[in-house]
Amino acid sequence: MKPPRFEYLRPDSVGAAVALLNEHGEGARILAGGQSLIPMMNFRIAQPSHLIDITRVPGLDAITDEGNAITIGAAVRQSTVEYSPVVKDRCPLLVEALKWVAHEPIRHRGTVCGSLAHADPHSELAATSLALNATFTVVGASGERQVPAVDFFIGPFTTVIESGEMLSSVSFPVVPAGSGYAIDEFSRTHGNFAIAGGVSVIQLGADGKVASATLSMFGMASRAFRAFAAEERLIGSMPTAEAIAEAADLALVDVDCSADMHGSEEYRAHLGRVYAGRVLTSAVARAQGGSK
Amino acid sequence: MGLGGMNKLNWIGRSLPRVEDKKFLMGRGGYIDDMDLHGMLHVAVLRSPFAHAIIKGMDTSAAEALPGVVAVITGKQAAELCDWMPDFNPEPNLHKWRVLADEKVRYVGEGVAVVVAESRYIAEDGRDLIEVDYEPLAPVPSARKAQEAGAALLHDGMESNVAHDSTLAFGDVDGEFERAAHIVREHVYWGRTAAQPMETAGSVASYNPGNGMLTIHANSVALTNFSFLVAGTLKIDSNKLDLVPMPAGGSFGSKFWATRATVTAGMCSKFLGRPVKYVEDRLDHALSCDHHGSEREYDIEMAISADGEFRALRLVCTDDYGAYFQFGLGTHGNAMSQVIGPYDIKAISYRAVGVLTNKCQQGAYRGFGSEVHNFALERLVDKAAIELGVDALELRRKNFITPDKFPHKIPGGNVYDSGNYEAVLQEALKDARLDYWRAEQAKAREEGRYVGIGIVTQQERSVYAANEWWFFRGAEGVSSVPESVSLHVDALGKVSVTMYSTAFWGNSPETVAAQVLGEELGVNPDEVSFAYQGTNKGLPGSGPGGSRFTVMITGAVQGASAKIRDKAIKIAAHMLEVAEGDLEYVNGGVQVKGDPSQRKSLAEIAIMPRLFKHQLPDDITSGFDADMVYDHPYTTLPTADRSDLGIFYPMMAHATHIAVVEVDVETGGVKFLDYIAVHDCGTVVNPRSLDGQVIGGLAQGVGQALYEEFVYDDEGQIQSSSWLDYLIPSAMEIPEVRLGHHETPSPFTPYGMKGGGEGGRMHAPAAIASAVDDALKPLGATRATHLPLTPERIISMVNGH
Ligand SMILES: Cc1cc2nc3c(=O)[nH]c(=O)nc-3n(C[C@H](O)[C@H](O)[C@H](O)COP(=O)(O)OP(=O)(O)OC[C@H]3O[C@@H](n4cnc5c(N)ncnc54)[C@H](O)[C@@H]3O)c2cc1C
Repeated sequence: MKPPRFEYLRPDSVGAAVALLNEHGEGARILAGGQSLIPMMNFRIAQPSHLIDITRVPGLDAITDEGNAITIGAAVRQSTVEYSPVVKDRCPLLVEALKWVAHEPIRHRGTVCGSLAHADPHSELAATSLALNATFTVVGASGERQVPAVDFFIGPFTTVIESGEMLSSVSFPVVPAGSGYAIDEFSRTHGNFAIAGGVSVIQLGADGKVASATLSMFGMASRAFRAFAAEERLIGSMPTAEAIAEAADLALVDVDCSADMHGSEEYRAHLGRVYAGRVLTSAVARAQGGSK
Repeated sequence: MGLGGMNKLNWIGRSLPRVEDKKFLMGRGGYIDDMDLHGMLHVAVLRSPFAHAIIKGMDTSAAEALPGVVAVITGKQAAELCDWMPDFNPEPNLHKWRVLADEKVRYVGEGVAVVVAESRYIAEDGRDLIEVDYEPLAPVPSARKAQEAGAALLHDGMESNVAHDSTLAFGDVDGEFERAAHIVREHVYWGRTAAQPMETAGSVASYNPGNGMLTIHANSVALTNFSFLVAGTLKIDSNKLDLVPMPAGGSFGSKFWATRATVTAGMCSKFLGRPVKYVEDRLDHALSCDHHGSEREYDIEMAISADGEFRALRLVCTDDYGAYFQFGLGTHGNAMSQVIGPYDIKAISYRAVGVLTNKCQQGAYRGFGSEVHNFALERLVDKAAIELGVDALELRRKNFITPDKFPHKIPGGNVYDSGNYEAVLQEALKDARLDYWRAEQAKAREEGRYVGIGIVTQQERSVYAANEWWFFRGAEGVSSVPESVSLHVDALGKVSVTMYSTAFWGNSPETVAAQVLGEELGVNPDEVSFAYQGTNKGLPGSGPGGSRFTVMITGAVQGASAKIRDKAIKIAAHMLEVAEGDLEYVNGGVQVKGDPSQRKSLAEIAIMPRLFKHQLPDDITSGFDADMVYDHPYTTLPTADRSDLGIFYPMMAHATHIAVVEVDVETGGVKFLDYIAVHDCGTVVNPRSLDGQVIGGLAQGVGQALYEEFVYDDEGQIQSSSWLDYLIPSAMEIPEVRLGHHETPSPFTPYGMKGGGEGGRMHAPAAIASAVDDALKPLGATRATHLPLTPERIISMVNGH
């Protein structure tokens, strides 16, 4: 379990990193926390010719409070976000999501952007970015572009980031005051990848009806996804137990659930409905309690 | 026993910090991968991607041309360099195996070639350049499929894939079943797992062409009295092989006799005349270690009398052995030692069917087959209670072998040395707060939550003997399982201990020896030093395994100490000018009986035989050393007709485990609310290290019950070759265990000790399954008889499947 030969490069700006990516072509890979890339290299599933380490690019390790959003640079470690007072105050859902990601030592090295760029279908952060409508800043040789979360993830380990591009930051909108949010998942052992999980953010109107709702699911299909049909069922309704149960039943409409030794398609579909129901129920309860 | 008229014990029974801990915690324990020899080469093994295929050809030229690659050895070449692998199965000619497959691969991950290079990195680069031409054959992915008509044959010389099918029966089994008021039947499946030590198997071999000596440092050949078999495989004279034991970073059985790494490194070193290291990486270890654990199915039934007496047990056990049969029926011999559990069952019939399949071979894993039997038996007892409509605990109690019946000869012939099962159960119940948990369970059910309590009472055989390997067959086999020690007392009276075999594999051999020396020679255990000797000049050793080391090393240390004491008395008699008969050895010195003022300390005595030959009587030779080869204290041979298997595993420990779980019936997840484990391993040497054994074993039991499994699909492809999918429970999944120790000394061992090295894993699976059943009872779920109880499986149980 040793990687093949590779060159290690350490640029000092995003521009330089992008230039190196373009110079070395398909064989070049960004190295962030290495918590997914290095194991893949040890298994020789990934055999990059050049590793471009971005973790020491000045400024890329910043967490910035933009007022209505929190922007996280590509070198920011997961644990830095997890323990950031600003994030805790303005976007506590992200902190809760991070508690489910791997184990503490892995979060010390792994980055938030690395997890998003990696686009594991089991990723809590991908689902959280979907539920919060995060915006991704992708930089290439011809400049940068902003991509909304719903467009970012394409399939298993695949995003809209093209060869020669990198993710330089991600912006998570702050959780609006008075909204309820929840993340929950089922994984067979602590810190392992989820078999099924959901994230939801819910705002209630003055009449107690659901004013806005997002629900995203992870761990169960080829990528994290928004459950729009479930959201639509709730928006404009009183969030009764029946309404939530009906919404949960809609969470997996048209979804092809994945299967592996930890769970068949049917089991994943069952769990998905259970967790859709659980996170919707918790998010509603928190919204009703006025918690942030 | 111990010293005649022994006073109270000073050291045994105390929770001293382990002697071994410091060096390992400081990174100075000397693990195999830390070893580096000048000019040493590294090995990577190319592994088969097919479960079953003919190797038609191999092109190694690109690998050989890679700078840094020193040699590529294919399976064909290896078959010339090495003989067949050592094998303990009774019919080795039918299903022999080689260090590398030469003509045919029989499981995914079987080695087909090695690359030897200047670094492991380069070796793996070279490995990627080898091209193999395989002709795939129909895979044989399970014991069931292997027995179907028309199934492909793994081994050409065999008529079917069934390597073994025989029945041992004792007592009037048929009569008991005819007379039985109730017959209870159960079908049980135990999934394939394996020990996952932090450190895998590894060896550093160094061949000296000058004198023909091959020195191999290895962490994985504990059974050193069979090192000549390794020499045979490597085609060198047995006295030219020095197998030097290294501490093992965990074994749990898997390093008992794991020779593949040793033969791999040895073959390469002998071929190239340079030192060679081969340490399995995690993938090597998962795919092709020497020891996957049991994968078994049971059809088990019990005849019960009208008043609930267990009369007879009958079972068919089908083993999915994998591609080879290296230990034959050892795992069944092992189970036979405690086949009736703690119950006074009168007759048994045990049919063992061994089937070869396209999977990694089986070997030893903490319990070595007896843990599987324990699971099957306790599942059956729980079912009996349900069918009879009686309390499961009362049913167990009613059938316990009572303390007045020991030593108790069981059907088959093994003897249970001592025990007090009711006392152990009482101790567990005292702490269990069952009333509280029953109330919680009732409350939870009202809230739609499902809490369950599982209680099992099980055996924990210890101090194995070699007979279990072969008594299933007609022939006579090996009966020696010695353990040896050498004591050296230097001129200042300081004591050094030399051990043989891979004594350390996470257990506490040095701590045990030090505590026993505290009793036997009155030395401070902290001041003893330790060394390990290779096989070349080594005394016989069988190593840990079968929970034997504590008893065996104690016997060896005790015997060697007696020799040291005898010489000390002889010398002191001369120094004090007193007759030997008037002296006694007390508290680290020799004194006149009843007169501590006339005394010589061990230090004062020790300098004499080291430096003052002519100041001593002529018959006292120089030196102050003692060797002791200690044989098993209590075994007998089976009879030729096998009407009696003899005594082969008599030190019978016992345990009660109580698990309290909550099952989430929406997800199938299981969480622990409480766990009580009370063990009786006879006299406890070191309660703290025994606690560690129980908790560690219990964690593996939790893994077996809920998480771990080597899953092979219908093509024989392994699905869980990494820890991403082979789920090892962490501290987050393991319950906080409340432990207790009861002490019923063995009448046959030094100090009354029994072994306790395999404890928790023998008991936790049945306790957990029982608790899950209890939790799901109101839902009419099917029973927890198929391990692991994955969440999906639990959901399907809830759904009645
Ligand atoms: C034992 C274990 C358990 C884990 N459990 C979980 C879990 O439960 N949930 C979970 O979500 N994750 C889990 N992970 C993965 C972990 O969160 C990783 O840290 C994360 O997925 C990748 O982040 P990284 O910074 O380490 O990225 P790296 O490993 O450095 O990179 C991952 C991939 O993303 C690319 N990449 C990284 N940064 C960028 C960028 N800025 N622009 C473009 N491409 C980029 C790399 O080229 C590479 O292909 C686990 C990992 C381990 C080892």
